[in-house]
Amino acid sequence: MKKLSVLAAGLGLCALAIAADADRVSVVDPYVRLAPPNAMATGAFMVIRNAGERDVRVVRASNPASRITELHTHLHENGVMKMRPVPAIDIKAGGEAVLKPGGLHVMLIDLKAPLQEGGRLPITLEFADGSSLRVEAPVVRPTAGGMPMNRP
Amino acid sequence: MSDKLLSAVAVLLAALIAGLGLFWHPEAPARPLPVPALPAGGDFTLQSAGGPVALADFRGKVVLLDFGYTYCPDICPTALAATAEAIEQLEPDERARFAALFVSVDPQRDTPARLREYTAFFHPAIVGVTGSAEQVADVARRYGAFYARQPADTAGGYVVDHSADLYVVDRDGRVVDKLAHGTPPVRIASALRRAMTTP
Ligand SMILES: [Cu+2]
Repeated sequence: MKKLSVLAAGLGLCALAIAADADRVSVVDPYVRLAPPNAMATGAFMVIRNAGERDVRVVRASNPASRITELHTHLHENGVMKMRPVPAIDIKAGGEAVLKPGGLHVMLIDLKAPLQEGGRLPITLEFADGSSLRVEAPVVRPTAGGMPMNRP
Repeated sequence: MSDKLLSAVAVLLAALIAGLGLFWHPEAPARPLPVPALPAGGDFTLQSAGGPVALADFRGKVVLLDFGYTYCPDICPTALAATAEAIEQLEPDERARFAALFVSVDPQRDTPARLREYTAFFHPAIVGVTGSAEQVADVARRYGAFYARQPADTAGGYVVDHSADLYVVDRDGRVVDKLAHGTPPVRIASALRRAMTTP
């Protein structure tokens, strides 16, 4: 019996050691903004939570609707909005990264076809350890509040 | 408890409240909120998909003016969605006394036809206008709108850094309010109403 529990504990430790970044991360309220007609780009937003005890970092994102996917942020300097690419999005252990209009976002550039309101877009987040997580983001019209109105 | 004691307590309480009122000023808004300096603004004529549009065409109406560009994936959609939501909050008779202009500071990519499609997506009442690089620069300068093309390291071509204030122009063509990006639609609507009703 004792042997068994040692074994179980050992296995548990192993599982912990090999758990991928993607397994510690959950994504809340993802959505993509419906792009105006002929718009070249749009943004996807979400809250990325890291329940693990190790910092994780999103190094890439991809999706089937746009030819290019980048990670971006906005710098607000004296009322001037400056959109800039970022190499990665860091999420501290036990923390979260909030991707929202006017701040961090997944930028979908060069859309292959117009997004459809009410549709869903799979977005894959890739982490520094090579693991990845796929989220289904509903396509919603832009609103003033950033968050779609039909959400809490 | 006797009546005497009760009234003594009442007097004490009253004194305490009076004292508080006299000496306790928790963050009293004694000073009015700083009013942002308003730009000179003034008339201009730019091109829309339906022909030239002059600010003077709207004399007698309140105009909400916004600067941006259609390749802007985030800030401009937020501002135009806020504008659209504010318009929806106006009564029909108020809407008849109001116009919204979206000035593109990226005339190289934003044709008037493209602008029309873009603004109509948010609200049919919003008119998209632009002009030559010099015309746009002149209007932006007079309204204190900042923009600068940046060769950012992105596959999406260049980005345009820009300020994102909304300007309220009154019935006489004067700038009477400047609303920061992120101002809730309900406050935009009340700023428009104020401009409509101020003599
Ligand atoms: Cu972006």
